[in-house]
Amino acid sequence: MQREVGSLPLAPALRARLAAAGFQTAQELLETGPCGLSKELGISKEEALEALQVVRQECHGDTARTARGSGATRKFTALELLEEEQAQGFIITFCSALDNMLGGGVQLTKITEICGAPGVGKTQLCMQLAVDVQIPECFGGVAGEAVFIDTEGSFMVDRVVDIAAACVQHCQLIAEAQREEDHLKALETFSVESILSHIYYFRCRDYVELLAQVYLLPEFLSEHSKVRLVVIDGIAFPFRHDFEDLSLRTRLLNGLAQQLIITANDHKSAVVLTNQMTTRIGQSQSTLVPALGESWGHAATVRLIFHWDNSQRLATLYKSPSQKEATIPYDITPRGFRDVQPPAVAPSADGTERNPRKRPRREEEKQ
Amino acid sequence: MVVLWAGLCPGLTEEMIQLLRGNGIRTVVDFVSSNLEDVSQKCSLSYKALVAVRRVLLAQFSAFPANGADLYEELKSSTAILPTGSPSLDQLLDSGLYTGEVTELMGAPGSGKTQVCLGIAASVSLGLKQHVVFLDSTGGFTASRLYQMLRAQTEDEEEQASFAGAGPYALQRIQVVRVFDIYEVLSALQELRDHLSQQVMSSTGPLKIVVIDSVSAVIYPLMGGRQSEGLAIMMQFSRELKSLAREFSLAVVVTNQVTRDSSTGPLKPALGRSWSFVPSTRVLLESKEATWGRGPMQRVASLAKSPRQPTGLQVELDIG
Repeated sequence: MQREVGSLPLAPALRARLAAAGFQTAQELLETGPCGLSKELGISKEEALEALQVVRQECHGDTARTARGSGATRKFTALELLEEEQAQGFIITFCSALDNMLGGGVQLTKITEICGAPGVGKTQLCMQLAVDVQIPECFGGVAGEAVFIDTEGSFMVDRVVDIAAACVQHCQLIAEAQREEDHLKALETFSVESILSHIYYFRCRDYVELLAQVYLLPEFLSEHSKVRLVVIDGIAFPFRHDFEDLSLRTRLLNGLAQQLIITANDHKSAVVLTNQMTTRIGQSQSTLVPALGESWGHAATVRLIFHWDNSQRLATLYKSPSQKEATIPYDITPRGFRDVQPPAVAPSADGTERNPRKRPRREEEKQ
Repeated sequence: MVVLWAGLCPGLTEEMIQLLRGNGIRTVVDFVSSNLEDVSQKCSLSYKALVAVRRVLLAQFSAFPANGADLYEELKSSTAILPTGSPSLDQLLDSGLYTGEVTELMGAPGSGKTQVCLGIAASVSLGLKQHVVFLDSTGGFTASRLYQMLRAQTEDEEEQASFAGAGPYALQRIQVVRVFDIYEVLSALQELRDHLSQQVMSSTGPLKIVVIDSVSAVIYPLMGGRQSEGLAIMMQFSRELKSLAREFSLAVVVTNQVTRDSSTGPLKPALGRSWSFVPSTRVLLESKEATWGRGPMQRVASLAKSPRQPTGLQVELDIG
């Protein structure tokens, strides 16, 4: 292999020594052997042996990679990818306008980012998706499990119970209307308890825990191979306070993004992130933009921005590889994330001014 | 800086190497630049043998000057100009993508870089019936969108009836490699280089274009902090790209991000000044819009760096 020494994944100090000693290609390294290498460079035999192992692995890359089975760098033709995409399912959100805008729902193997001001409904959508990913295939879902990584502490289990109950009820109505064998069989295992037991919840308190959790995800996912959704609620929160070195932050965030893309691709799962908004103060006006800087904008494949228009919640598709930009209204009901109902439905019972940003807890709304 | 080892050229034996090393001559450069009379005296080797070895080494390792006229003739016969699928972009690039050069597309998130890359792949595969290698490092490659673009392009050429036959072939000519790490990108390029050098004589599968989306995604995790290994790898990578483009007459298209100096500064391309010397042509993609969801989206491509056109040219782009 005429692979240059500079392009191999070795430690920088070792690489500098190799360059000083005059080694140029991987072939020369392999021919020198570990004893010769340790003599030339002045390193111990174990280090030389390790370095040669890395070189050998890189040079015989094809056989090593297919043996590992993950196939991360397998080559495909566009035709194979098209067939794969057409066979892939989506995670629906129960809001048909949003599903249509996204081209069917949240796509597997891609990173979707949801940005929005506080209280607009990002965590609600994440909880809805964690329930919706478990819908059985006969009802149009992907029948997977969910991993929920929480950094802000906004995961409320009783709210998930409400959402799950509404979802089960919805499926029961479909089954009763259509009366098919597999629908009834699927419903036996689809209940609120089973939904809750298939959401794996992790709580990360600072950025080190978050990074560790994301880098450990591949092992977890290979043990739980049915996971089809990874939600990280609040990726901005641990990175926004307490960071003096901004270039380190960019470096960590980009490494995190690449690791998430690898995870989404290898395990065929969707990754959903929520981000906060920050203000950019311009010459004459200030605008709300997603937090974490310009380079983070490239990490997500699909970007949704949730915002308010008076008291109506709107979702805008800001970035997508296959859909056009659009804005749709949505609503958050006691049963979860839903479409906007037409105004013929009875308005709210009491006439007092409500804060449109957070749904108040009123006794008569709880089941 | 190649180390002298036995068998590098005829006449260079193991004992000669040991004697030379004893006198501090380890690499080819040391040998060629030393005074051979002194060397033959100190190492007690024959002067004639040393001169013969030096001649062979010079022939093997030095670069030969080429005549400007010969170079021009060679470029005229080997350079091709590939259409990008969008007439306004072709106009900006002086009729298309030139082989033998690296072209860069940069833009903010959502400005359309991946869409333009897909359009280029579709146009080359369908129009020129040539192979395309697409290195995807962001997971943004969507085959269904590519298929949509292919259909749109055939409708323009009024070949709808033959699309059913041509479509799958066009898709098969586009090879997608998913690489998420700089080392994976480098091994993919190495594989490509091996594949191309073996195929120099054959006529099947002419490859003229390599698209890499995006380079900043794989280089950014190594930059920053206080380490310089990111810069070293980036330079290695750029050298690989440029030598691939030049040696095999490929057009290399890369996409890059944009950053700001401070939160209010102007947009500038990512990866810094060192990377700015790598592409010969740079196109900035912007989408001019007021706020999200209000007002029509207008995409503008402007030329930031070009060896042939004046910079500052702007055209409107239509991403189908």
